[in-house]
Amino acid sequence: MRNSLIILTIALVFLPLAAAGQPASDDVVSSCVISAGENTTYLKDFRVQLPKAAPDAAVPVYKANIYLMRNMKYRFSVCDTPGSGGELFITLYDQGKEIISSYNSSSGKKYSSVDFFCNKTGLYTIWYSFIDGKQGSGVGVVCMIR
Amino acid sequence: MTGTITKFAAVILLLSFCSCRNTNIRPGGPTFPVADSVPAAEAEKLSEEAVADIIQNIASPVEIASILQSMQVPFTAGYLAPVQGADRLTTNFRKAVMLGIYGSDLGYLNIYGKTGNSVDLLSVIKRLADGLRVGQYFDFETLKRLSASKSDTDSLLFLSVNSYNQIDRYLRDNDQGSISALMITGVWIEGQYLATQVALSHDDEILRDRIGEQKIILGDLLMLLRPYRGSSEEYGSLYGMMEQISTKYADVKVSYRLGEPDTKEENGRLVVVQHEESIVEMTDDQLSEIAGLSKEVRNKLISGN
Repeated sequence: MRNSLIILTIALVFLPLAAAGQPASDDVVSSCVISAGENTTYLKDFRVQLPKAAPDAAVPVYKANIYLMRNMKYRFSVCDTPGSGGELFITLYDQGKEIISSYNSSSGKKYSSVDFFCNKTGLYTIWYSFIDGKQGSGVGVVCMIR
Repeated sequence: MTGTITKFAAVILLLSFCSCRNTNIRPGGPTFPVADSVPAAEAEKLSEEAVADIIQNIASPVEIASILQSMQVPFTAGYLAPVQGADRLTTNFRKAVMLGIYGSDLGYLNIYGKTGNSVDLLSVIKRLADGLRVGQYFDFETLKRLSASKSDTDSLLFLSVNSYNQIDRYLRDNDQGSISALMITGVWIEGQYLATQVALSHDDEILRDRIGEQKIILGDLLMLLRPYRGSSEEYGSLYGMMEQISTKYADVKVSYRLGEPDTKEENGRLVVVQHEESIVEMTDDQLSEIAGLSKEVRNKLISGN
């Protein structure tokens, strides 16, 4: 009986912690795609789960390479998993040069999505991270604007 | 009572640990500071990871179809790959290539709203996916229902593209990169076939540019296939054919014009318009040769000869 209660206690203590660390589910992806708007076509999703930044260390980043094509309009949306500790944002780079970010650290303003009218076909790099390097879980969705 | 509590607690613990294992963090996903100098063996490994990142976005089953639709090019069923004989595919190589080709066709059908025609194609795709043991990522019943109802094209597009993304993710995460590469190649060659065939009869600058720009993408596609070219005769043959297409692109020029982006806020959304441009120079003869060879390679892959 005592062992059972210990196991139950461990389970009840660790379950919420485990749930908070879960990656984005299909439901979060679906709702994020819907939030991108009606005039869009889904292309890709990135499920992001990052730990808290260590003291005096760089903020953890999830990086992905993506081909973007000239004459296409893209929408990058970010959504947080319910219970996520941090707020997800995206920064798009072209050969190391920042093109667009959904978070302005100077003003503190954050956008849930950003549009990019692409005029140069090539390989771009997406960085996903959480504001202030907090631990978090979320999803980034890339759509084509019709 | 004790037994019940123990079982209940054990199930909770098991569920929580199982769900922890089932994370979708990809290898190379979260990136932490790395040392400035990387040993040679590590560099090779990093290079493979970079390739893995590249492949996931190398070809989209809907972007070419979307361009064609915006050009108001009529839908042509004749461009679709035949589904007859798909049941007789025996090797994983052919199943994976055809899964990619049919995925591209599915995107073409769905973008044009020809969803009623896609039910047969969906059945074939499902069987191929099952054959590769990735059928669990294909919600066939929902896709079939949405296709038949013709009512919710957006959901259909999302579900079908998402299924392919999930299959690709699963294959890469489970050391089946060679199968993933074949599927991606199938998507690419069918999109290339569609674009080039339409370009031969519709002179459109955007479409021509898109075909010319494949020179950039083809280089990465070859890099993706290269590690597996010696794994079988058919893989080597595919690599050789893709190299031949690349050769046809040798004299196509892609240059860049510098420019600074404009940023503005519209309806609470940040909008960036890029002014740096890629410029494609491709002659009619080059287009014709690329179109001819792309068709030949695509047809060879479909026939298996």
